[in-house]
Amino acid sequence: MFQALVSTASRLLSDLNRSLFRRPLPPAEEPVSFPERRAYQRLQRVVLTDQVCRTIFEEYAGHRHSTRGEEETGWVLLGLREADETVVLATLPAGAERSAGVAHVRFNAGAQALASRIVRLWDRRLSIVGVVHTHPGSLRHPSDGDFQGDRLWVSQLRGRDGIFGIGTADGETIPGTLIATQPRPHVQCLGELCMTWFALAEGDSKYRPMPVHMTLGPDLARPLHGVWEIIERHADPLDRLFRQQAGVTTEATNDALLVQLPLAQPYQRLRLVLERTRVRYLLHRGQDVIEVDPQANQVDHGVYLVLAELAGRHGTS
Amino acid sequence: MDFRPLNDTERQQLISALRGNAEGNRAILMDRRDTSFAGTTDEVTDDEVISAIKSVPCHY
Repeated sequence: MFQALVSTASRLLSDLNRSLFRRPLPPAEEPVSFPERRAYQRLQRVVLTDQVCRTIFEEYAGHRHSTRGEEETGWVLLGLREADETVVLATLPAGAERSAGVAHVRFNAGAQALASRIVRLWDRRLSIVGVVHTHPGSLRHPSDGDFQGDRLWVSQLRGRDGIFGIGTADGETIPGTLIATQPRPHVQCLGELCMTWFALAEGDSKYRPMPVHMTLGPDLARPLHGVWEIIERHADPLDRLFRQQAGVTTEATNDALLVQLPLAQPYQRLRLVLERTRVRYLLHRGQDVIEVDPQANQVDHGVYLVLAELAGRHGTS
Repeated sequence: MDFRPLNDTERQQLISALRGNAEGNRAILMDRRDTSFAGTTDEVTDDEVISAIKSVPCHY
C-alpha cells in the first residue's frame, strides 16, 4: 500500500515536472536552407591592393610592347565582396590562348578557372568581383557590346553588382613622372596608361563611375603569372585532379608549377614538376626522392598510372 | 563542464551551418578556446566561382 502511494506520488511529481519545465519540442521538419548570405548593398567603392595595381599597369605596359600589342587584353578580378565595397586581391590574366583582336577579347577561361582553384586555397571567401579589359583607342567607357554581355553576367556575382575596369593608353605623358595620378575618383593614370573604373548592377541601365582606393596588399595570383603558359597547357587535366583528389597543393617557382598530392605510407607525397617542355613525377619517401616516368601524355593520366602502380605493389607485398 | 542548452537562435544557426557543411561543403567555425560553435564564414564554392569565370562574356 505504502509502495503504491509512493509510486503514484512519484509519477504525479514527474508529470508535473515535465509540464512545468519541459522544453518545446522541435518542429517535425526543419526548413531546408543554407547559411544565409550576408546582406549586400550597392557597391560604393572598389579597393585595389598595391600589387594588384602594379600587376595591371605593368602587364598592360608589357602587352603593348608585345607582338600582340594591338589587341585588347584583360584580367578577371578575384576579391572579397564586403557590404558596400569590393577589395580586389588577385588578377587572372586573359592568357596567351585568349581570342582577341583590335575590337574584342575573350579570355582563356579554362586556365583562369584552374588558377582560381589555386588562389582560393588561400582564402575560400574569394570570389570573382569583376573584369578589366583594354580598349585600343581612347574610349574610357565600356562599349554597348560590353553592356549587353555584362548586364546578364553580373547576376552571377555576389551582391549582383560587378566592377569593370577599362584600360586605355591615351593619358597625358609628363616627362619625368614616376608616380601614378588619380585625376578623378574613378580614374588612375600612370604615364600614358589609364584605368577607368565602373560598376554595373543587375537591372541597371548604364554603368556608374566607381571611386577607386588603394591599400597595401598582395596580388595573390601574381606568382602564377610567370607560369601562366604552363597553366594554360595543363589546365583541363589539372582541374580534373583538383576535383578528384583531396589535399592537392601547388606552388609556383620561376619556371615551373609544382603540384603535390599526399600519399599513404610508405611514400609521403607525389610531386609533379610541370616545366615548359616536360613534366616530372617525383615520389618522396623520407629523404629519398624517386623519379618515375609513367610515359603519359596528360598529367592526370600520369598521376593515375603512378598511383595504380603503387597500389599494385602494395597488393603483392 | 558546462552543458548549457542552445537557445532557439543558436540552435537554428547550428542546424543551418551543419546543413551547409553537409550539402555545400561550407566550413563551420569553432571557438579555439572552448571548441564551441562560432558561426560560419562567407565561403564561396568552387562551382560558383568557376561558373562565373567560364561565363565571362566577350568584351569589345
